[in-house]
Amino acid sequence: MRSVQISSRTELVWIHEEGELSLSKRSLNGTDFTAMVLAGAERLHQHAEHVNSLNVFPVPDGDTGTNMNLTMTAGVNELKRGTSPLIGQTATVLSKGLLMGARGNSGVILSQLFRGFSRAAASRDELNAAQFAAALQNGVETAYKAVVKPVEGTILTVAKEAAKHATYYARRTTDITELMGEVLRRAQETLAQTQEMLPVLKQVGVVDSGGQGLVYIYEGFYAYLQNGTTATSTEQTFAAVHTGQAMQPGMTGTSNPASASAVAQNPAFDTPMPAQARLETEDIEFLYDMEFFINRQLGPNRNVRFEEEKFRQALAVNGDSIIVIADDEVIKVHVHSKAPGEVLNLALQYGEITQIHILNMREQHRDLLSAGLDIAPPPDLFAEIPQEPLDPQTAAVPPAEEVAAYGLIAVSSGDGISEIFRSLGVDAILAGGQTMNPSTEDFVKAVENLSARHIFILPNNSNIVLAAQQARDLLEGSRQITVIPSKSIPQGIASAFAFQEDESVDMNESNMTEALDHVKSGQVTVAVRDTTMENIDIKEGYYIGINNSKIVATAPSLLQTCQELLSSMIEDGQEVVTVLVGNEANDADTTALASWISETYPDAEVEIHEGDQPVYHYLFSVES
Amino acid sequence: MTHTIIVTESTADIPAELIAKYDIRIIPLRLFFGEQSYADGVDITSAEFYSKLSASVQLPTTSQPSPADYTAMYEKLTAEHPGSPIISIHLSSGLSGTYQSATIGRSMLDDHSHITVIDSKSASYGYGLAVVHAARLAEQGKSVAEIEAGVAHILSRRELYFMVDDLEYLRKGGRIGRASAVLGTLLNVKPILSIDENGVIYPVEKVRGQKKAMTRIVEMMRQNLNVRKINLALGHTANRESCEPLLQMIREHYEIGELVFSEVGPVIGTHAGPGTIAMFAWPDEE
Repeated sequence: MRSVQISSRTELVWIHEEGELSLSKRSLNGTDFTAMVLAGAERLHQHAEHVNSLNVFPVPDGDTGTNMNLTMTAGVNELKRGTSPLIGQTATVLSKGLLMGARGNSGVILSQLFRGFSRAAASRDELNAAQFAAALQNGVETAYKAVVKPVEGTILTVAKEAAKHATYYARRTTDITELMGEVLRRAQETLAQTQEMLPVLKQVGVVDSGGQGLVYIYEGFYAYLQNGTTATSTEQTFAAVHTGQAMQPGMTGTSNPASASAVAQNPAFDTPMPAQARLETEDIEFLYDMEFFINRQLGPNRNVRFEEEKFRQALAVNGDSIIVIADDEVIKVHVHSKAPGEVLNLALQYGEITQIHILNMREQHRDLLSAGLDIAPPPDLFAEIPQEPLDPQTAAVPPAEEVAAYGLIAVSSGDGISEIFRSLGVDAILAGGQTMNPSTEDFVKAVENLSARHIFILPNNSNIVLAAQQARDLLEGSRQITVIPSKSIPQGIASAFAFQEDESVDMNESNMTEALDHVKSGQVTVAVRDTTMENIDIKEGYYIGINNSKIVATAPSLLQTCQELLSSMIEDGQEVVTVLVGNEANDADTTALASWISETYPDAEVEIHEGDQPVYHYLFSVES
Repeated sequence: MTHTIIVTESTADIPAELIAKYDIRIIPLRLFFGEQSYADGVDITSAEFYSKLSASVQLPTTSQPSPADYTAMYEKLTAEHPGSPIISIHLSSGLSGTYQSATIGRSMLDDHSHITVIDSKSASYGYGLAVVHAARLAEQGKSVAEIEAGVAHILSRRELYFMVDDLEYLRKGGRIGRASAVLGTLLNVKPILSIDENGVIYPVEKVRGQKKAMTRIVEMMRQNLNVRKINLALGHTANRESCEPLLQMIREHYEIGELVFSEVGPVIGTHAGPGTIAMFAWPDEE
């Protein structure tokens, strides 16, 4: 095989034919699977920011990529603690890590896909092509069951179509590499079609972000299968796929049977895709895997302008796999570097460094290699995880006399909002920042730390509900948990308010759920790009007002945006209007807004609280 | 004419003109702001009470009249009106020891068969209304048994809610256990409280915003008082205007016979604080 510049259809076909020359693979064992997953995780990791950019709303908190990446990383970390040459055991370990690490809707669905896969594979030492296809199919069925209202045109559809095609194609080949190529191709095609399935995607000109994340993982799988079998240096060069273009506004990826393997080898895409298990430990050049936050609010350098591009370039001198996610408050940094000290010094120029994680990847790699040979964890999903007691016998249920009747857990963003929740009797607050949704494990831990007979969880974000429900399901049988599907902070506040300590579980569930429908939620932020939604032209940098989940107002003026938004939310003017003031808002704007509300709606009861939330200048709640 | 004499405490929050009109005998409770002591309604007005309450860091305490105070009152009335029965109606025994004191005070008299002591199991005008009703029946020359029955009946039909404006006082008092859930809240919460059949204050609901609280009070009242015409008393803390929106809402649903404005006194006022609005309603059955 050699590096080929794709320039015409003829060459594509040629490459495809070349691709078939690769050694076929008729069975997949635990070691192969581990390497595949690492490759998939790595590829997703490298493109997480791109997945983030596929948010349909032009708001600065699209985080599907971050969520899926963190979910996948949790799975990989679990694998690093102990994998097995037997695929059933390896898949089970992976599944456990993914389930606990699941964040965001796409992360939860991803974890369910692999949960189904691992169950189908559980008793097997290795999988043949047909069994591999069946495991993919079982993953899809499991994921569909886990989601209350499956939406087509999302990661679910991409996974479903890919698995369906796998089942069909497995009758034609026994080669798993070839089969994976077909799975990837179908996943890519379906991803491109998501635009036709969800009008909002078409309007905005993006493909589904979760589906894209899955495609990246499949690309990693395929890359490993191919490169691992040919093992020439040029094959180390992985090719991104036409889906990379499909994400561009206005472009939809078209696919033909030839292109799958072709694009997979396209050297124009220069992302290195090491199949880690095949690497020599010493090949890891940028050996320190660093992750940390720079808090812009702390330290003497808060006024230093953060030049993202310059920062990236400086990181790239001695590093790769760079992810920088910046908002006004914090900058999240991920880098593989060989000079960790320099990276930290660089970061210190912009603020205080928090949550520092530095791992030596050579060390991890050595561990991985030995673990792959030596450690074979039992297949039972949660049987041997002493650090995280999950099964009913070991779960940390406190002695009965200390147990409260109820415990409330709420996801919050902003100190002021957290205070409001605490004042309403919420026992545990999970930070649900704009760039970080809590994982299933975060919920599990919060539950375990509460001594209460029955726990209510308020996720307060539509993208967090599933992770909370997954935690409930994981703890089924040991803890009693009700997830109130609150999709916004105002809904969460209304629901927490409806909670009554002296009412029954059923009554509380009913009251708290009913409260969700009696509140309208509004959000005001700044558009991060130009777009058109619901016939509203939105300009980058303009303010946007979102009523429940619909953009209803946009203007260069913050006050005007707030006025239009509130006008769409308030009906008879008798409502209780609550304004939660975010970090980005200033006092003058808030004062002007307050007087406008009281003049325009003299009969409304207006409450203004410091919410301290990032990203959203204001959150509004209107209750009748 | 030996019509029955009606006795109660200052905490029945009966307007002065009704006290005078029906010659109701009032025993004042004593109020203490720190070292300072006041006879409720005698040397401190309602307005003065609330301004002191707002300024005071510690909650004032109330002290029930001693049994001897009741004995003295009964003796005096017996001497003034020989042969007249006395009906003595008291603040809920669930809230205060006045009923206990009155019972002992009565028993300290050798001849006490003409004195009847009643536990209203209510507070403020929630029993003031029964006292006034008893005084009317007395004026009409009804027997003690008839008056007792009338008092029991009206107390069984009364609707009583009060809404708290400033949670600080409930918080300081720390008394109302089941309402504690709302005490820490940063939101503008208006708890609606009532007094149960045992005379204990309990939270009925917590509502956000004053209008919603008033709307809820009227809704609950309509569930329980399914009549066309009612008598109504509205309690306030030296601010009669504050009752107007609630009165208007009630007028939309009921014909109002008797209308009384009552100043919420120190027993509820100490714990509920300035700005509290109370509603007492009972069917007009005349």
